[in-house]
Order: sequence, then structure tokens, then C-alpha cells
Amino acid sequence: MLLCGCSSEAREVGPTVPQTAPIGEQDPRIAYYQDNFGQVAQGGRYFLYYGCAGCHGDGAQGARDLTDGRWKRGGGFAAVFTSIAHGHGDRAYATRIPVEPLWQLTAYARDLQRHMPEKRRRQALDQQAEPRGAAWWGPQ
Amino acid sequence: MMRIIVTGALLSLAGCQGIQSPLAPGGDQAAALHSLFLLMMGVCGVIYMLVLGGLGWSLWRARSASDAAVVPERGLWAVAIVIVVGLTVLIIGSFVADRAVFASRAHGAMIVRVTGHQWWWRIEYRDPATGRWIETANELHLPRDRTTRLALGSADVIHSFWVPNVAGKLDMIPGRRNILDLTPRRIGWFRGQCAEFCGTQHAHMALDVKVESAAAFDAWLATQARPAAAVASRGAAVFAGPCAACHTIRGTGASGRAGPDLTHLAARRSIAAGTLTMTRGNLQGWIAQPQALKPGTAMPSVPLSGPDADALATYLERLR
Repeated sequence: MLLCGCSSEAREVGPTVPQTAPIGEQDPRIAYYQDNFGQVAQGGRYFLYYGCAGCHGDGAQGARDLTDGRWKRGGGFAAVFTSIAHGHGDRAYATRIPVEPLWQLTAYARDLQRHMPEKRRRQALDQQAEPRGAAWWGPQ
Repeated sequence: MMRIIVTGALLSLAGCQGIQSPLAPGGDQAAALHSLFLLMMGVCGVIYMLVLGGLGWSLWRARSASDAAVVPERGLWAVAIVIVVGLTVLIIGSFVADRAVFASRAHGAMIVRVTGHQWWWRIEYRDPATGRWIETANELHLPRDRTTRLALGSADVIHSFWVPNVAGKLDMIPGRRNILDLTPRRIGWFRGQCAEFCGTQHAHMALDVKVESAAAFDAWLATQARPAAAVASRGAAVFAGPCAACHTIRGTGASGRAGPDLTHLAARRSIAAGTLTMTRGNLQGWIAQPQALKPGTAMPSVPLSGPDADALATYLERLR
């Protein structure tokens, strides 16, 4: 029984990582990223690494709040992917973040609304010492 | 058959003099542990021989004796005394070695911060000229005959610092700094390894350690402290795109801190914590498909066009 959940952690190893953005909401690659805990969790780490939590962290208000289930430009996978990659003006994440992390970040952002605030806080605590943005100076 | 077994046994010992071996100590702390190891081998070897001897003797007696066995009381006493003395020697030896390994030593303000990440080592030295911290990764340089104090920590899970030729293991625990003093005595390259299971790529979390003369070390540290020369090449422009968010190259705009500092990348011996040797081909392969080489690493695959990948490799190769 305990092992039943393991398949949702399974990771592909090898040269099969996506090289392009999702093509429409029916892209067959979406299910793999959105339903895989490992990929979603990796998205959570990149969320810190790339400094997303600076604006979209706990307590963000309005359009920056990713946990309320409301999306300015649609909540489909491809729509959220496009908002991350191309919807941040000068930050131009499409050129600064490689494609696979964008897939993982999208899966993570869409996953956030499914969790209680307690769980999100717990994850933030777990990652407290991990690198975040340019200002991080490591555990002292 | 016998010959094969003996050859195999001898071959397995041949590795013991290597660059990652507690049997070839190259520093005070490792030497203390090595003496303790020899002492334990000696004492336990004597006791082992005594036990086997007693066993053999009793088997022989049981066959030859006709009457009820007579317990030789003096012999028993002798065995008991040997065991008590042996254990006492071991306890004292262990205490003395422990004191030698973890004793605080005069380190002349030479402090190096080592932080474990899944799955690489962040290493920070203090620039002697300015007092600021400068960063490198996966390669630890130590001056010979001087004590270096390591402040060991972790950013995610528990790791363990272990360079067997120089010292014993010490865990790296998130939320605290463990202190380990190292006094290397032998010049050369050694290999360290994370010694606490820390995730899928635990086996690919190695550390190159170079012990060098004090003068060579000072020169190396001065080079490390220098920022990289700013160049306006295509490779530098490529780097400023997807790489700069996670990697720092001092002296340029790249200031991400999630991944290793690459300011003097090409001067290092290996890539990705001892996973690959430092060659141009390996660099390009690592950038293109890190997940195939070290599955699970936080380094994402960066799809680049052929000319871009080439220009980036040329740029990185010059970071010496």
C-alpha cells in the first residue's frame, strides 16, 4: 500500500526534456509535469532560485497571489507558461530561464492553489536556507 | 584457484595507498586516526588469535582427554587479564585519538566555510587583502603545515565532510556550523566525498582537495580573489541569458547564487562535484544534458544552438 504513491514521483532520465513551450492546452507533455510530485517540487526550488518568491511569496496580494485560483491570463498550463515566460515585461524570463525549469515552474504555480497555507509555510521553512535570488548569502 | 584468491586479496589492498584512503594519512588528524586504527588492529588481532588458540586447544583436548576436563585456573586468569588490558589500551587510545582529531588548534584566522548542497560543495575563503568572502566550489585548497579551520554547514539536508587522507568525517547539518581543524602535512591531490546519504546523486558529490606549499596556496588565493576580466564576447552574452540567474562570475553582471560560483571555473579540476573531468567536451555536454549525466541535479538542461554552445564553452574555458 505504501508503495502505491511512488509512481507519481517517477522521473525520466535522459535526453527527453522538453525543448519547446507547450503547444496548446492538449500538449501530451503537460500531464507528466503537472501530475509528477518530483517535477512540481523541483519547480518549487526554482521558484526560490529564480527569486519568484520575492513578489509571489506568502502574503502576496491581488494578481501576484498565486494561491487564490484566479488567473489574469487564464489558468491553463499553456496560458500560465506564457505568462511566466513572456508576461513579466523587462525581466524576459523566456530568455533567462531554460525551457525545462519553465515547465516545472508552471506546474508548481498551478499546484499552489491546491494546498493549505500551512503546507506552503512548511515548504517555505524547509527551504529557508536554500539559495534565493542574488541576495542570498547562505546559512551563516 | 588459491593463486587467484591471493592475487585478488593483494590487489584489493593496492588501492589503500590512494588519494582517498585513511591508510595513507597526509595530515595530523588523519595520522592520529591511522595510529588508532593500527592499535585496534594489533590489540584485536592478539585477542582474536587467543580466542582461536583457545578454541583449537579445547578441540584438541576434548579428543585426547579421557577424564573430566580440568579447568586450568591460571590460564583463565591470564586470558581475562589480556582482555581487560587490551580493552583498557583501546579505550585510552580512542580517547587520545579523539582529543587529537577534535582539539582546537591555532589556525591564524584561516577560516574556510564549506556548505553542502544537493549535490555539490560551496567553499568560501576570506580574501586576505580585503577581508571579504570569496567563493569557489568543489575544490578545496589547503596550505601545508598550517592549520585551516573549516566551518561546515548545509543548505538543505545533512551531508558529511570526509577527506580520508586529511581527517575523519564530520557531519554538515542544516542550521548549524560544525568546526573541523585540518593540519595537512603532505603535498598532493586528495579526494573527498560526501559520507552521509543525501539523495539520488550522493555518489556524485565528490571534492577535490589540493594540499600545497604555503607560497603556492597564497598565490592561488590571490588569483581566486581577482574578479574575472570583463570581455564582450558572444559567449559572455550567452552566459548573461540563462546562466546568470543561478551562477556568479565576479566582475560581470552574473550574480545568481543558487549554483556554484564560476569566476575561475576553468582552473578547477572537475565539473559538477567530481562527476566529470574539466574538458571542453565535458563542459558542453554538461550544459546541454546535465540530467542525463547526473539525474536530479538542480542544473537544468540549457538548449543552445551549436554556435552559441561553442561560444559559451570558449568563454568558460578562459575563466582561469
